Amino acid sequence: MKNTLLELKNISYKYKKNLILNKVNLKINSGEKIALLGKSGSGKTTLISVLNGTIKPTLGEVKLFNKSFEELDRKQKHKITTIWQDLRLIEDLSAEQNVNCGLLAENNFYFAFKNLLNISSFKKAHKYMQLCKLHNSIYDKKIRKLSGGQKQRVAIARSLIQGSNILLADEPFSNLDPKLIKTIKNLLLENVDKNNIKFPKTTLVALHRLDLLNDFDKVIGIRDGKIFFNIKRTNLKKFHLDKIY
Amino acid sequence: MNKLKLNYTSLSFLPILVCIPLGYQLITNLHFGGFKLFQEFFISAFNPKIDNEIIFTVINRLNETILIAFFSWLVSIIFGAIFGILSSNIFYKIFNIPNLFYSIIRFFLTIIRSLHEVVWGLLLMQIYGINFSIGIIAICIPYIAVNSKVFAEQLETIDYKIFESINQINAPKFSFLLTLIWNPIINTFKNFGLYRLECSIRSTLILGLFGIGGIGTSILLSLQTLNFRELWTYLWSLAILIIISSLIFKKIKFNNTNKNLSIIFIVVIFITILLSFSYFLYFVFNNNFENFNSISFLFKSSSDLELFNFLKLILETIILSLLSTGIAISLPPLLIGLFNNNTSKILIKFFAFLLRLIPTPVILITLLTFNNPSLSLAALTLGLHNAGITSKLLFTNLDSQDKSNYIAMKSLGISKKTSWLLGLFSQQAKSYLAYCAYRSDIIIRETAIVGIIGSVGLGWQLQESLSSFAGKEVIMVLTAYSSIAIVGELINGKIKNSLT
Repeated sequence: MKNTLLELKNISYKYKKNLILNKVNLKINSGEKIALLGKSGSGKTTLISVLNGTIKPTLGEVKLFNKSFEELDRKQKHKITTIWQDLRLIEDLSAEQNVNCGLLAENNFYFAFKNLLNISSFKKAHKYMQLCKLHNSIYDKKIRKLSGGQKQRVAIARSLIQGSNILLADEPFSNLDPKLIKTIKNLLLENVDKNNIKFPKTTLVALHRLDLLNDFDKVIGIRDGKIFFNIKRTNLKKFHLDKIY
Repeated sequence: MNKLKLNYTSLSFLPILVCIPLGYQLITNLHFGGFKLFQEFFISAFNPKIDNEIIFTVINRLNETILIAFFSWLVSIIFGAIFGILSSNIFYKIFNIPNLFYSIIRFFLTIIRSLHEVVWGLLLMQIYGINFSIGIIAICIPYIAVNSKVFAEQLETIDYKIFESINQINAPKFSFLLTLIWNPIINTFKNFGLYRLECSIRSTLILGLFGIGGIGTSILLSLQTLNFRELWTYLWSLAILIIISSLIFKKIKFNNTNKNLSIIFIVVIFITILLSFSYFLYFVFNNNFENFNSISFLFKSSSDLELFNFLKLILETIILSLLSTGIAISLPPLLIGLFNNNTSKILIKFFAFLLRLIPTPVILITLLTFNNPSLSLAALTLGLHNAGITSKLLFTNLDSQDKSNYIAMKSLGISKKTSWLLGLFSQQAKSYLAYCAYRSDIIIRETAIVGIIGSVGLGWQLQESLSSFAGKEVIMVLTAYSSIAIVGELINGKIKNSLT
C-alpha cells in the first residue's frame, strides 16, 4: 500500500477577490516523482506554497504525514524542502553561507552565528555545491555578484543540503543551459543516496518544458487554479495538454 | 495669468515665504547696542587666541568631548540596534508574540525620542547634579530611541519572501532571527553609524554649553566673559576635529566578510553591553540618593502657569518649528540657485560649514547683539543652523548627480539658473523634501535649545520651571513638548512615506 506523505483536501485559496486555487484535491505518495504542468498564472506557485505550509488555504485541509501543519513540530516540518521560482537567497551573504543556511534546522544558534561571521565549516556546503556543478571560485562570492544560473544552483544546493524527504521545486531549470538541466534534473530525481548525500525521494517539480517530462512517474495539469488531470506520465496524451495550455 | 503649479520643485521654494513675517519682526526689533560686540566677535574669528595655556585647555576639553561623544555613541548604537530589533515587526512574527507588546515598546521609544538630549540633560542635572556621566546618559537616552527607529525601519524593509524562505528551513527561532536581521543590522551600522557619531559630537558640544563638560563648557565660559578670541580658538579647534573626523570616516570601510574584524566587532558589542549594565547599576546605586529623592519634587509642587499662557507657549513652539523648518528647507536651494557659480558655491559651502559648526546657542547670542529676543530671532537661528545641514546634503546629492540634462539645457541657450533649476534641482527635489521632513522632526526637538536661550516657547518655560523647582509645571511642559514632537513625527512620517 502506498504511503501518503502530503494530502490536500478540497483546498481553495483566495487572494483579494481572485480565486487562485479552486477545490484542489491531491495526494503525494512516498517515492513519487511528479511533474506539475500549467500556464503562467495557473496557480502552480500557489499550490507549492500551500503544500509547504507557507500559505494557509482559505478553505480545505492540508495534511503532512496525516497531521495538519499546526500539529507538526519543527523537525517534522523540516521534512519538506522548497526550491522557489524566485530563489529567495540572501543577497548580502556569500554562496557558501547561503548553502549553509540549509543546515540551520539541524544545528544550534552558535552555528548560525558562526555562519554569519564566516567562521563556520563549509565542507558540507562545498560538497553540495560541487554536486550542483558550481565552481569553487564562486563559493565565497556574494549572491548579488553571481549569474542567474549560478544563483539557481546555489538555491538547489541549499535545498538538497537540508536532507529532506520531500522536495517541492518551482521551475528549477529556468536559468540553466541544456547540459546543466540534465545534470540538475538527475539530482532532483535521484532515488538512491550516494557518497553520504541524502536525496529527497519524493519530488514535485513545476515545469514549463514538456521535453523534460520523461523521468517523472506522474503528471499533474493545472489551469485557473483547478487540477485538470493527475495521471501516470505514460498515459499523458496531447488532449491532456490541450486542456491546460 | 498662469496658475502656480505645486510640484516637488516649487514646494522646495515655497516655504521661504516664512521670511516675510519673520523679516518684519526682525526689522522692528533691530538695535545697534551690541554692534561693537558683534564687530569684536567677527574680528576675533581671524585672530583667535593661541598660547600654551589655551592649547593645553583645548586638548583637555577636546579629549573630554571625544570621550563623552564616543561612549554615548557606542552605547546608543548598540542598544539602539537591540531596541530596533525589539521594536520591529519581524521579531514578533518569528516568536509569535502578540502585537500589543510591539505597540507598547514603540510608544515608549517614541516618547523617549520626543525629548531633546538637552532636556534630558537638564532633568538629570536637576536630579544628580553636574557629573561627567550625565553627558553620556543624557545623550544615550534619546539616541537609543532614535537609533532604534532607524534600525527598526531597516528591518522592516526585509523582503517577506526571504522571511518565508528561511522560515521554510524550519531553523530554531533565534537562528532564524539572526540570519534574517544580520545584514540589515550591519548595513545600517555601516551607513548610519558614523553619521551618528558626528551627531554625538554635536550633542556633547550643546550639552557642554549647559555646563555638562567638554569643549562646550569652555565656549560657554568664554562667551559669558566676552572673551571672543578664546571662543574662536575653541570653535576653530572644533572645526579641525570635525574635519579630521570626517576625513577619517571617509577612509573607514567596514568589511563584514573579514573574519577578524567581525570577531572584534562582536567582542566590542558584548563588552559594551556588559560595561553599560555594570555602569548603569553603579550609577544608580552609588549616586547620592538624597539627590535622587529630589525627583519627588516633580510630584509635590504646585503650578502657577495659567492655561492661556501655557497654550501661548505651545503655540509659540509650534510656530518656531514651522518658521525654522521653512528656512531650513528653502534657503539652501534658493541661495545655490541664485548664486550659481563656483566662487559663490565655495562661499555658501563655507558659511554652511560655519552654521553647522557654531552651536545654535552661540549663533543666537551673537544675533542678540543687534536684535531683541523674539520668536523670529530664535526661528532664524534654528533655521540657519539646520539650513547648514540641509545644504550639505543638497550639495552632496547635486555633486554626485548626472549632469547631462543640465548640460543639454545650457547648450540649448537656456539660462544657467533655469538649467540648474530644471536640469539639476528638479530631479533632487523629491528626495530633498523627504530628508527635510526627517530634519523637521529634529527641528521640533531643537526648539528646546533656542527656546531656553532666546526666551521663547516651552524650552524657556522648562528652564524657568526647573530653576524654581516647580515640578508640576515641568511635567506639564514636558508633556506638551513631547506631544508636539510626537504629532510632528507622525505628520512628517506621512509626508516622508508619500515622498519615498
